[in-house]
Amino acid sequence: MTVVVVGASSGLGRTLAGELARRGHGLLLVASDLRDLHAVAADLQVRHDITVSTLALDLAGEPDPGARIRAALVGLPALSALLLPVGVSRGDDDFSLSAARIGELLAINLHAPLAIVHALLPDLRDSRGSVVLFGSIASARGRGRNVVYASAKRALDCLYESLRQTHAPDALHVQLYRLGFLATNLTYGMKLPLAASQPADIARVVVARLGKGSFAHHLPRQYGLIAWLMRRLPWSLYRRWRG
Amino acid sequence: MSGTEVRGLALARARLSSFDRQFSAEVGVQQPDRYRLLDALPADQARIARGSGASYVAASFGAQSVSIDMRSFNRLLALDMRTGLLCVEAGACIGDVQRFLLPLGWYLPIAPGHPRATIGGCIAADVHGKNPARDGTFRSLLEELQLHVPGHGLFNLDARDSSGLFAATCGGLGLSGTITRATLRLSRPPRALALRRVLVDDLAQAARVLREAANAHVLYGWHDSRPEHFGRGVIHVGLSDDEAIAPAFDASPRRDLPAHIAPWPLSVWNRGGIALANAWLSQRWRRPGIEAMAMAKALFPLNDARRYFAAFGRAGMVELQWLIPHDQFEAFAAALGECVKRSRPRIALISSKIFDGLAHGLAFNGRGISLALHLPAPREIPQYAFYEQFAELAIAHGGRPNPIKDSTLDEAMLRRAIGPFDAIRAELARHNPERLFGSELTRRIGL
Repeated sequence: MTVVVVGASSGLGRTLAGELARRGHGLLLVASDLRDLHAVAADLQVRHDITVSTLALDLAGEPDPGARIRAALVGLPALSALLLPVGVSRGDDDFSLSAARIGELLAINLHAPLAIVHALLPDLRDSRGSVVLFGSIASARGRGRNVVYASAKRALDCLYESLRQTHAPDALHVQLYRLGFLATNLTYGMKLPLAASQPADIARVVVARLGKGSFAHHLPRQYGLIAWLMRRLPWSLYRRWRG
Repeated sequence: MSGTEVRGLALARARLSSFDRQFSAEVGVQQPDRYRLLDALPADQARIARGSGASYVAASFGAQSVSIDMRSFNRLLALDMRTGLLCVEAGACIGDVQRFLLPLGWYLPIAPGHPRATIGGCIAADVHGKNPARDGTFRSLLEELQLHVPGHGLFNLDARDSSGLFAATCGGLGLSGTITRATLRLSRPPRALALRRVLVDDLAQAARVLREAANAHVLYGWHDSRPEHFGRGVIHVGLSDDEAIAPAFDASPRRDLPAHIAPWPLSVWNRGGIALANAWLSQRWRRPGIEAMAMAKALFPLNDARRYFAAFGRAGMVELQWLIPHDQFEAFAAALGECVKRSRPRIALISSKIFDGLAHGLAFNGRGISLALHLPAPREIPQYAFYEQFAELAIAHGGRPNPIKDSTLDEAMLRRAIGPFDAIRAELARHNPERLFGSELTRRIGL
């Protein structure tokens, strides 16, 4: 069986690929730069002696990423899971972005997951496989920062519900992780209100739960409480919050 | 600084400190985790590559430079089990690489004592291992390397490179570019070592034992630093012994010495502490004997030294390491003994090794006996004075210093100690014409 990891060359995606390889899964790794993909794939092959295929794809500019991935799966063992740890944010995502920049953020954070899920859904249904989506604590409630990023991540909640509403629990496992702060390039150098989690800790949990039902969880779990509190904060207080 | 348009560029301000705690600075740190991000900084931005930050001296940061944290470039790219060639990215820690290789029947015979030193750092510092007389320095393992130079991209180089860039990169302290990957020649490790202790009464006798055992896998001496017992000690001679059954040893990464050790509030290495420690080590080691030791344990002796380094306190320590030619060593050792009796400096540790190589550039190599002294960072004038006395004695006896260990060295001292210093500096400048690469270390020693 093959697991597709989109965004596999860095951050959580790279760590997920490592954890999957450690457990012996065959992989199709997707990322924007072939140099990074080759390095990640070579490392996993050397360390774990597994089959790793790669596909270089720039999600910001690719009109149909799902079709490209589907084509790359031809000849590989059946698809068992699709993991979409893709995401990019910007420090200037505060209503000051140009239309082109908004389009780029939406392309990576929303269009790509939607298009890839659409394209691979038949294969995943055939194998009773898993779709794993990655949201963000940033989408718990809209703020003046991460405007486009959070909007796109919120939309993934909708995609998660649509998938679950359409498919019987035993036909497709749909899993959504709303992530807190992770120690990746997205948060590097930022002053964060809470300590960032290590991607390796998150990856262990995600891979262990592959194929084990459908659910939406916060990771780490304490972010569930934080999101709940944020959503219940009275508007008069919330609008004054600049944290 | 611009460059924020590059997707994924991660920049931060951080206060970095050298392992010996003698230098710290607030600097910019870039954390590239993809190849394209190596080009994310403006091409004219001064920079220096950084691995784990385990260098004794400030080799990976400087006030004017952005440190490029290469730890994400830590992948094993190819391993030829037949020929023993490993291609690995520069940010891989030597401890992790050895942990991966040893069960496969391979290892890097040259590894510094700190397991978090990275492959790139080992090349840039041309480090030595457990017995440089037998194994040489890290450059002897290097078949190929890849270098990133802003505005020019990635270069693949090998020893046949006629531009001098390959040679300048080995021991070049990061001034020729950012090392991104290397192909290294591995060796077959002994399954276990029989570690024999040979007692010596003074440094001159130690030198004789080191010369006689120069072909051992592991070879180093520990010496008493108290003036009344100065130089007496023990030489550890590690010989291959496949029959030996080494005690079980936990080689997991959690045992690795951290790159940064939280210091104790005060230094324990006052005269009383040093006397006690020397007495205890004498009691423990100054007994002839043989013990079996797992290779994984022998490779990283510093893993057992966490409290030792923490005990230098917030002021930190200084390591003086000089290589003295064989024909001068006996006279040097006698003069040093007199000097120690006269000045009574606080020396926490003295260790000795033997070298039998050729000195390239500023790398610490040559033919002779090296002495490394650990001293608490000085608060008293006599302690300061001892640094100078030690260096003067070493220079007077043809000694060569180790710039990658010793934070007391400056340009004037290096010029006196290393004959072709100006030629070496000119060669490094030829590969760094715009002074794009630089660290606190290279600034201090006038590169």
